Amino acid sequence: MLELIFAVLLIAAFATLFIKSGRIAAIISLIASAMPLIAVVDWANDFGIKAFSFGVENSMDFPIAGITMHLSITSFAWFFAVMVFSLLPPIFLFSYSFFEKNNGFFPFMLFLITAVFGILLASDFLTFFFFWELMAASSFILVCISRDKKAIMSYLAFSVLSAVLILVGIALLYSQSGTLLFSDIVLNADKVTVSAIILMVAGFAVKSALMPLHAWAPFVYSKADEPFVAFLSGGLSKVGYYGMFFVLFALPGAKILHQYFNSGVATYLLAVIGAISAFIGTLLAFMEDDLRKLLAYSSIAQLGYIAVGFGIGSSLAMAGALFQAFNHAFFKSVLFLVAGAVAYRTGKWKISELGGVGYKMPFTFMAALFAIFALAAIPITSGFAAKWLLYEAAVSNKYIFITPIMLIAGVGAFLYSFRILYGVFLGENRHDDIKEAPLPMIAGMFLLVLPLIIFLIFPGYMLDMMHSALVDAGIGTISHTNYVIRTGMASYNTLAVVIGMMVVMIPAFLIYVLRKQKKVDFKDNFLAGEPYEFYGYISMHAANNFYKPIEDVIMPYLRKGAISFYTALYNAMGRVSDASRKIYTGLSQDYTIYIIIFFFIIVGWLIW
Amino acid sequence: MVVEKIAVIALYTTIAMFVGILFMGVGRKIVARVHNRVGPPVYQGFIDIAKLLTKKTNISHGWIYDLALLFSMTGIMLTILFLPIGGVKLLSMEGDAFLVLYLLAIPALGFALGAGASGNPNAAIGVMRALVMMLSYELPFVITLIALMIYYDTSSIAQIVEMQHAKWAIMIPPFVLAAAVADMALQGMLMEAPFDISTAPHEIASGPMAEFGGKHLGALMIYKAGTIVAYTTLFVDLFLGGGVVMHDGSVLAYLANFAVWFILIFLVFTLSLLINTSFPRFRIEQAFKFYWKYEALLAFISLIWVYLMVIS
Amino acid sequence: MGLFDGDIMKYEDWNKISRIASRKSLWMVHFCTGCGAIELPPVMTSRYDMERFGMGSMATPRQADVLLITGYLTVKTLKRVVNVYEQMQSPKYVISFGSCPINGGMYWDSYNTVKRLDRYLPVDVYVGGCMPRPEGVMNAFLELMKLIDEGKARGWEKYQKYYEQYKRNQKMAFNFEREKDEGA
Repeated sequence: MLELIFAVLLIAAFATLFIKSGRIAAIISLIASAMPLIAVVDWANDFGIKAFSFGVENSMDFPIAGITMHLSITSFAWFFAVMVFSLLPPIFLFSYSFFEKNNGFFPFMLFLITAVFGILLASDFLTFFFFWELMAASSFILVCISRDKKAIMSYLAFSVLSAVLILVGIALLYSQSGTLLFSDIVLNADKVTVSAIILMVAGFAVKSALMPLHAWAPFVYSKADEPFVAFLSGGLSKVGYYGMFFVLFALPGAKILHQYFNSGVATYLLAVIGAISAFIGTLLAFMEDDLRKLLAYSSIAQLGYIAVGFGIGSSLAMAGALFQAFNHAFFKSVLFLVAGAVAYRTGKWKISELGGVGYKMPFTFMAALFAIFALAAIPITSGFAAKWLLYEAAVSNKYIFITPIMLIAGVGAFLYSFRILYGVFLGENRHDDIKEAPLPMIAGMFLLVLPLIIFLIFPGYMLDMMHSALVDAGIGTISHTNYVIRTGMASYNTLAVVIGMMVVMIPAFLIYVLRKQKKVDFKDNFLAGEPYEFYGYISMHAANNFYKPIEDVIMPYLRKGAISFYTALYNAMGRVSDASRKIYTGLSQDYTIYIIIFFFIIVGWLIW
Repeated sequence: MVVEKIAVIALYTTIAMFVGILFMGVGRKIVARVHNRVGPPVYQGFIDIAKLLTKKTNISHGWIYDLALLFSMTGIMLTILFLPIGGVKLLSMEGDAFLVLYLLAIPALGFALGAGASGNPNAAIGVMRALVMMLSYELPFVITLIALMIYYDTSSIAQIVEMQHAKWAIMIPPFVLAAAVADMALQGMLMEAPFDISTAPHEIASGPMAEFGGKHLGALMIYKAGTIVAYTTLFVDLFLGGGVVMHDGSVLAYLANFAVWFILIFLVFTLSLLINTSFPRFRIEQAFKFYWKYEALLAFISLIWVYLMVIS
Repeated sequence: MGLFDGDIMKYEDWNKISRIASRKSLWMVHFCTGCGAIELPPVMTSRYDMERFGMGSMATPRQADVLLITGYLTVKTLKRVVNVYEQMQSPKYVISFGSCPINGGMYWDSYNTVKRLDRYLPVDVYVGGCMPRPEGVMNAFLELMKLIDEGKARGWEKYQKYYEQYKRNQKMAFNFEREKDEGA
């Protein structure tokens, strides 16, 4: 049955290569992408969660060209698979209306899905690397569709960098343990050296956009097609974190690093990098005017939290990190899909040109509102439980530098969330002639918002899902019931929050309902007595340069950053290559002289 | 048992809002006396809210604008539920200081949405300033909060209050510095001068409140009353022992604790009012630099001091 | 009044509470026109403190109850004043200072000023003088509060009842018409 899933995906991929119409390709992709989901649901039974059974076997050995590819599902791979593959059917539902013609999105997305399925199922490093390269290749082609030079070049450079780092790490592991199978490497863990671990973690960190290896993210996220970017930031970054989780905890890299340095310095460094990503990503996010670049920096920031959890390494931190990964997959995809829907209807990307979209597209606005509540970790959504676990872990381990930075990044999330909400959806209505997004788009967005709402009251279910993953990786679990989480320092009871909110909403609701009110037109605003119609050019939408005061204070400190470093490196390489033009001039006369000189040197050397 | 708890919750929420509205009136009286004039009666807050809620017409700008009303009032009352008031725990065993920090953001977000939906550009600028203020004062405040959590090895506010029954936190040397920093952060939270930047009446036509009138403004004043109680209670719980002086659980203990809590939050509020009357307003970048350069440095010194005390 | 119309409280009692609340907490719009604006700061500050009656000044008409016309009004200002008045929410009151709104005052033969304010806006209390001193202004405030208490300060209802006539007069003055009055 497992071969059937791979076969269906590959056949669908090849089939959609030749289909011109976007709608039919979308339907085929939707059906094909449901297949991995079936497998994922079936394997839930193996990890202690009651679900339907479809009879999909959970491991397979696939011989090809003299090599055997080993595939089997482990508990932590299953958790990441749930996240990644649940994103796909709503994304394809969205792209049914987004693409009218098939511009190459569908076949390469299906290749990408096959690749991710293979990565998560791989149980030896050769299979893993094979599917990793397939994923890099298909996502690169998807980026090429956008035809933007900076995005393509940066994505190519960083993909190659990550592939090289991982390959060298795998080679070192093979030379140290003599085998490529995961289970055998785990048994011989004491032979693995530190350099392999560090190289592999760095390779995976490129994919998950940790600073300073994040430079590709703003360019790629702002130029590629939205459904692909939704999967890229929601799904592929989680694959990078799956690799990191695997190297640090399953094949116990964290223990090896601890033993080598005799202290937790290396994992602490990972946590510091994550915290700095969160902090600086947030600071850079709220100064952006382009909606997609803003979402890109916010993605970098929220992903940094997961690295902090991995760096701290206690059971609380890991639970928080995995929960945050799950939440991020959903709310970030929703936000990118919302950006896509707005662009589909209005054709604009810049926040300073948009405005008042929420009055005409209320369902899109509601989806964006829920996603932003989860992003900003408002306690009535599930986003808060993840951040709470991370903060508890950081404070109980007495990390005094990381915790304030993480908390400030959390507060900073409010700033750019408000910029998105006000700049795009509220404010002056500049687009009177747009309609609501088409129904498949709305359905796709709301399907993705659903898990955020479900897990708001019952974080215990999420912790149950993670339970076997954490136990198999050698980390403990945390005590919880369906809606209460208890740690050593405090407890968090979601039911109390919800019931308390119901009780105190009563007086507010009474005021809202009982006193009658009258709705007035937007233009009837206090403009110091001036009537709006009198001056047709008054702009009542204050979304341009929204955070200018704080930008003026912060920008001098942030001017030199990773991206300027990479640009300088790129320019330096260009100058070196230009300098070598003095020798490799491209003129055939010079090459003829070189051949003659070389000939004489060889003759002269032979004579003597 | 659940019904009894809900009754206690409702009673204490009502008392807290009552105290808040009373403080608004008393605050105006104190400011007036500093200005050498008579000032309104102390029950002026109640009359203002009654007048606003009995207006005959109320202007609304849409359903998003009305959400501001719901979110603000609900959020602030929910926050009060998670703070121990005079030793009475309400719901504070079910959530800790991080939950309270994030719950304090719900009304701010609702208010921001409502102000954004009202369509006035002044409101948007006011909300921008309010959000930047929130970013500014949070940094020193969370640093002092972490210092407290490391020292008492808990993150629940109810536990911190309990552990202060022998000695208030402010009597421990590093926490004197931390309490001074937190008091400056409190000045920003309460939006009193020099940090009343976001609701400046003369600069940006009262900022986010520009289009609020009638029952919406009444709900907003109830929210403001709630914030006075919530923020000062948070400060008192963290640094001044929460007003708990008797622990035997008798009726006398409840009354004594309540009285001490009331006096303590009144003193904290008066201090912030006196600073209010003495200073003009900052600009937003000056406030940001103040909090992130000088206050954060002081808070960090106290954090390192506590860390060294705890490790050794 | 909706729910309270005779169900829980008698109409007269409800109105009385509403009147007490309205009288003890009058908020004025901080929109000072003409030469009488100079008499307001002494009233607001420590010597003739108006805050002890609950009065305060608010930035926008949405938040305010009473509009002070402090002196003469040109036609240009009248257009904006009418906008401001219509953006206020009822119950709302108007107090006019000086003799110019009564009969034209010093500018009785000018082409540009308004001679009788009562044609364009319903005025509740007039204060005579050119300009009235702060004691006169305080007296006006107390008079308005007395009128509210007796239920006689009903300018806003007069505005709604004779809306057509007011609009006709305004249109003749400055030839511009807003959408409609939100105090209705």
